[in-house]
Amino acid sequence: MPLEIQIQKNVAPNAGVITVQLTGSLDTATAPELERQLAPALGGPVKEVVFDLANLKFISSAGLRVFSTTRKTLKERGGQASFVNMQPQIQEVFEIMKSLPGVAVFRNVAELDRYLAARQRSHEENR
Amino acid sequence: MLTLELQATPEEVMRAVDALEDFCQAEQLPKSVTFGLTLALEECGSNVINHALQRDANQTFRVTVERTAGEIVIELRDRGPEFDPTKAVEKDASDEDSPGGWGIQLVRRYTDEARYQREAGQNILRLSKRLGGTMTGN
Repeated sequence: MPLEIQIQKNVAPNAGVITVQLTGSLDTATAPELERQLAPALGGPVKEVVFDLANLKFISSAGLRVFSTTRKTLKERGGQASFVNMQPQIQEVFEIMKSLPGVAVFRNVAELDRYLAARQRSHEENR
Repeated sequence: MLTLELQATPEEVMRAVDALEDFCQAEQLPKSVTFGLTLALEECGSNVINHALQRDANQTFRVTVERTAGEIVIELRDRGPEFDPTKAVEKDASDEDSPGGWGIQLVRRYTDEARYQREAGQNILRLSKRLGGTMTGN
């Protein structure tokens, strides 16, 4: 099963947030491609990456490692990697890394949006 | 029974994973069992090509899958230097700089047994998963 990768830069009020939609299988054969496509996206001043996993059917430790290095890069900038819409079998595998710092898990987009809006407000208040 | 001769590349590991998925579907195994077995094979196949065979595409390894009355057994064989993945240390998950050991943790979670043997110059790894009943909890 191949992996389809869609990377979108969000617009205001969530500028600085990148959404990555993954469809298919994130495994030993496809993980290097995700890493390659994420590199330029992470080159900019991005602090938040949202991985939308609604259509991700399979993941192995090779895929978790890409998530983990992304999370580490963002954490060093005071940001984080968010994961939304995980299917049950993906959630089970994800358990292994869900407690790492710089990881946030949301059940759905509504929950994520509320979080991003709150975060945006707190940024503005601190200005 | 399913037998595959594979080259030491990630694409070939995934070819084996796809073939195992078809095999499990033909055997009408529950989706959760199929998912766990394909994940275990992905992890162990990746270990073979990355560690035992050092990504040398000229090297080959063999995967066989067999269903008996009570279990599914997946066997991986290669002629690389001795490498026992079951001895890989499970690192502390909070060691965020070195996320190693995740593969073997997943293999243990989704199979009932992972047994390694070195025999006649071959690495032989047998993964088994009991079927039916609620004993395994999965």
